[in-house]
Amino acid sequence: MLLASAAVFVGLGAAFLATAPARPAAKPARPAAEAPRLEPSPVRISAAQLVKSGGDASALDCYACHDEKKKPQVPRDAAGRVLLPKDHADLVFSMRNCASCHVMGPPVKLELDKQGNTIIPPAHAADVQIAHGDNNRNNDCFNCHDPAKLNQLVTRDGTKLKLTEATQLCASCHGPTYRDWEAGIHGRTTGAWHRASGAITRLDCTSCHDPHAPAFPRMIPLPPPPRPSAAAHPAAPAPAHPTK
Amino acid sequence: MSPTPPPGSPAPAEPRSMSRRSFLRGSTVMAAGVAAIAAGLAPLRKLEDFGSVEEFLRTHYLELTPEKMKEVLARIERGVEKQYGLRPHVRDYRPMNGVEFVYALNLTRCVGCRKCVHACVAENNQSRDPAIEYIRVLKMPNGTFDLEKGDHGYTPASVREPGFFYMPVQCHQCKNPPCVKVCPVKATWTEADGITVIDYNWCIGCRYCEAACPYFARRFNFAEPSIPKEKLNPNMSYLGNQPRHKGVMEKCHFCIQRTRAGLYPACLEVCPTGARKFGNILDPNSEVSYILKNKRVFVLKEEVGTLPRFFYYFDV
Repeated sequence: MLLASAAVFVGLGAAFLATAPARPAAKPARPAAEAPRLEPSPVRISAAQLVKSGGDASALDCYACHDEKKKPQVPRDAAGRVLLPKDHADLVFSMRNCASCHVMGPPVKLELDKQGNTIIPPAHAADVQIAHGDNNRNNDCFNCHDPAKLNQLVTRDGTKLKLTEATQLCASCHGPTYRDWEAGIHGRTTGAWHRASGAITRLDCTSCHDPHAPAFPRMIPLPPPPRPSAAAHPAAPAPAHPTK
Repeated sequence: MSPTPPPGSPAPAEPRSMSRRSFLRGSTVMAAGVAAIAAGLAPLRKLEDFGSVEEFLRTHYLELTPEKMKEVLARIERGVEKQYGLRPHVRDYRPMNGVEFVYALNLTRCVGCRKCVHACVAENNQSRDPAIEYIRVLKMPNGTFDLEKGDHGYTPASVREPGFFYMPVQCHQCKNPPCVKVCPVKATWTEADGITVIDYNWCIGCRYCEAACPYFARRFNFAEPSIPKEKLNPNMSYLGNQPRHKGVMEKCHFCIQRTRAGLYPACLEVCPTGARKFGNILDPNSEVSYILKNKRVFVLKEEVGTLPRFFYYFDV
């Protein structure tokens, strides 16, 4: 009896293994998937970054349009606020990095007018203004630009700086923020926290702040946590033990 | 019952051990039993993989010898390759000597763009559907820290909105972690560099830790995670972003596969404002040491005594 039942079970086991589907063969190695998108590019491109990367720095040459011998007039409205001249309409906008905010949709294409200036998209029309701080008194072009040499920056104490040295100009007024920036606290640092393991990337003030309107630009938020989809939550089957 | 033979009579022939009737009865019962067992085992046939014996007799992470660890990592790589069709690099990153990680988050700078949330999902191979996200960004009205007033589902056209501040919440990597205390199988513990980790292959999915955490930092895989193959991050670690399975807990681990290799975590790397700062608190020259010395930092729910390694601060 015992032997007979043992034989039956052995036979049953053999039949089960024989009919069980064979393990699928190992798939050939495939190339690694694309690395996850870690977008480290800043919201703007500073003049220093532009020059360093060999980009088109012609927009930084004021005397392509201005007469070198004539001091330009700063247009103001009745209340004394600086008006953005039409030729400089893209001043506050031109060095934006569109892709840093438009991460989800298709890439953004900028349209240029015949002079090569950026046509400001309607959604960003309100961004374009001279707005350095809450006080109008900061909005004088010649607080920072040398009236005698427009593409030279000048601090309040008369130190002359190149356009690529804007950080020092900002530091001449924003001392505590500069101190934090030097310590790596203010602003973005990317790369390696462990200095022996890799380099660290520091940014300039103007990589995030437009000097003419320094408030950090408003951003499109990425989507909030979604509810589980129907695919993840198939309809519950009828209860096995219906309640009476 | 045959009567007892009288003494002196010749011994009767050996009685037959089984009558015809009892044999038939027995074989019918046995056939029915075999059929029942076969029916019970039938679902097993639908399984594509029975799993290996080693996987069944797995060992706790802390008890793995280096040789055994090598085998386990190779096994995980094979499993991922089979499931996703791509060969990952699964490594076991160990804590660096003299390192204790601390995170500092500047609430003045955070604009609530949620880039950290989505970079974390991409880096750490979180399930996309059902979606698991380690970081929850709360939109809080100015002037209160009542978390009940926080809103995590905000979808304005652009942020930040005036009158609000944004507070991202993730695992605080507590020095006195309630989640570790309640785990009945020691599947979660704090490592030497301060990261509270989970052995996904040891977790039984009882969710005690989820209930114990005062920060809603732990997530449970209610369903088998689904990640599109092309979105899988192939740089994996055992305690970090190896793909999880249904029925285990997971949470932020300060991007163990990045930070133990010396890099910043993914959430910091994408933060456009530099609100997030990370580093070694035992290094007096690190950024986080500067913040803890010079800024007025605070921790969330200080009164519950968890001693977080995650600090918030405001500045000007």
